[in-house]
Formats: sequence, structure tokens, C-alpha cells
Amino acid sequence: MTDWQEFVRQRLSGLALDAGEKEEILAELTAHLEESYEAFCKEGLPQREAVQRTLVQVADWQDLQREILISRRREQPMKKRLHQLWIPGFLTLMISTIFLMGLQMLGFQPSIVGNGQITVLFYAPWLASLPFVGALGAYLSVRGGGLRGTVLLASVFPVLALTAAFLLMFPIGFLIERVIGSPVDFGIVATAILRDGIGWILVPGVALSAGGFLVHLLFSRRSWSKELAIG
Amino acid sequence: MIGTGIKRGTAELAVLSVLEGGAMHGYEMARRIEQQTKGALRFTLAALYPMLYRMEQRGWIRGAWETSSNGRRKRCYRLTPAGRKKLSPLRSEWAELFRALQRLTKVSHD
Repeated sequence: MTDWQEFVRQRLSGLALDAGEKEEILAELTAHLEESYEAFCKEGLPQREAVQRTLVQVADWQDLQREILISRRREQPMKKRLHQLWIPGFLTLMISTIFLMGLQMLGFQPSIVGNGQITVLFYAPWLASLPFVGALGAYLSVRGGGLRGTVLLASVFPVLALTAAFLLMFPIGFLIERVIGSPVDFGIVATAILRDGIGWILVPGVALSAGGFLVHLLFSRRSWSKELAIG
Repeated sequence: MIGTGIKRGTAELAVLSVLEGGAMHGYEMARRIEQQTKGALRFTLAALYPMLYRMEQRGWIRGAWETSSNGRRKRCYRLTPAGRKKLSPLRSEWAELFRALQRLTKVSHD
């Protein structure tokens, strides 16, 4: 009778995994071969043929070993997050900020929309560039293996950073005003939140996510087509 | 008999679908798929386990050792919530593919 455990152990001796993990795999594959062999025997096949039919399941043990190693390779969660979110996100933030600063230094005047208290400033060339910046962030995230949520987060990262700055800015400003004793006009604060929220978060966010969404759509369709092509 | 390429693409869907019916170990899974597809899909050990490990790494399935009634230890796989979530879009994609192929073959026969 074939010692399947020893057989598998010999064939997969080069499986470079930690001892516990390797033992689990050997035990699992051994159990599969044993069951397969027993089923062939129950079907009435002679022992020799049952062994042969069982062995047909693995044409190349080296290849199986390589496939198992690839499938068990773990990517560090932090490293994964770095490539899928932080690097693409900070890159989009840097590019969009540098471009905006460049426009301001070159003397571009913002367009003013609205009148009275609520006037929103728009740098048209900057806004026009944001879909491309968002698309770049999304592309890098897709390349890093990011899923839809992460890809879209990477593309809108600059406005997320601005939102965080906003959320910090107002309470800090409020505290400072309390400390120095000057009264806070909540009407002005609300107007500022609305004005800056529209001009620096909402509209740029839509522009960035438009680019990110298009890239995500393009790559999800491409990867689907590729899956179909390779089957 | 379905070609090798298409089989590879349907493999994940096949595994997720059989696991939707309940936990099972690798050999049982291979048998079940073969029976339910009337032999059109056959998973050898070499094809099945690397795929199961990949799916486990992605968090779609989870394996755990269990002892069967005859005392033999087996690693049984279960569908995780993420795997269950993945199954629905996969099914839609494949249904879409088959509809597209049906339309295509109808056109070709005209």
C-alpha cells in the first residue's frame, strides 16, 4: 500500500514555508490523494491502476510547489496599504497643491462665483487639472492592487486632506477666539464653512473623483476582459 | 468538453457556488463540481489547492481542520461574508458573458 504522506512529503520537500504551514499543506494534499485512491479502489480498479489514476492529478510536482508558494505568499498589510492608498494619495495631494501654488505665483486670478456674503473662488485651470490628478491617483492605486473603495479614496485624497484641515481649523480658531475673548459670530463661521466647503472641497472633490472613477471603470472593464480572454 | 481557458475562469465561481451550499473539504468539492457539471468541470489536486489557497488569502473562503466520522482529519472550507459578497457580481459577469456568447453564436449562424 502506498504511503501517501511520505510520497507527498518527498515531492514537496522544497516547499519553503514555515514548518506549521507546510505540515498543514502536506496533510491536506495527502488526505486528498488518500481519498482519491480509496474511491478508485471502491470503483473496483486494481491497486496499481488506482495508484496511477490518483497520480495523474499532479502532472508536475515542482510546478504545484511553485503554485502553492505563489498562492500562499502574503503581502504585508501595511505595505499593501502604502502602495494602494498612501503613495497615490500623497502624490495627488502634492501635484494638486504644487500646481495651485504655481498658478498663484504666476499671478492667475481666481474666478469669483456668487455675490454678497457667499462668494466662492475657483481657479479654473486648477479645477480643470483635477480630473487628471484624480485619474493618476486612481491609476497608481489600481496598479498597487487597490479595490474600488481604495482607488476612489486615493483619487480624492487632496480633498480628504483639506477636509481634515478644515475640521481642525474651525475648532482651533474657535478656541483661540474664546481664549483671547473676542466674540464668535456663528453666522460668519457658517458662511465660511459653506463657501470654503464648496470651493475647496465639494467642487474639487467632484473633479478628482470624476477622473478616479473613469480610471476605475476603465481598468475594471479591462481586467474583466482579460479574465475572459485567459478564461 | 469545455476548453481549459474557460475552465480556469469559471473555477472560482464554481468553488464559491458549491461552498454556498455548505462547508466541505477539497476532495469533496472537486467531486461535487464534477458531478454537478456532469464532468464538464474537473478539478485535479494540482488545479484545486493553489486556487483554494489564493481564495483563502483574498478572504473569500476560510479553511479549518475538522475530524470526520471515520476519524480522519480534513480541512473544510467555508464561504466568508466577503466570498458571499463576491459571488453575486461573479455570477452576473458570467451570465453576461454567456448571454453575449449566445447572441454572438446566433449572429454567426445567420
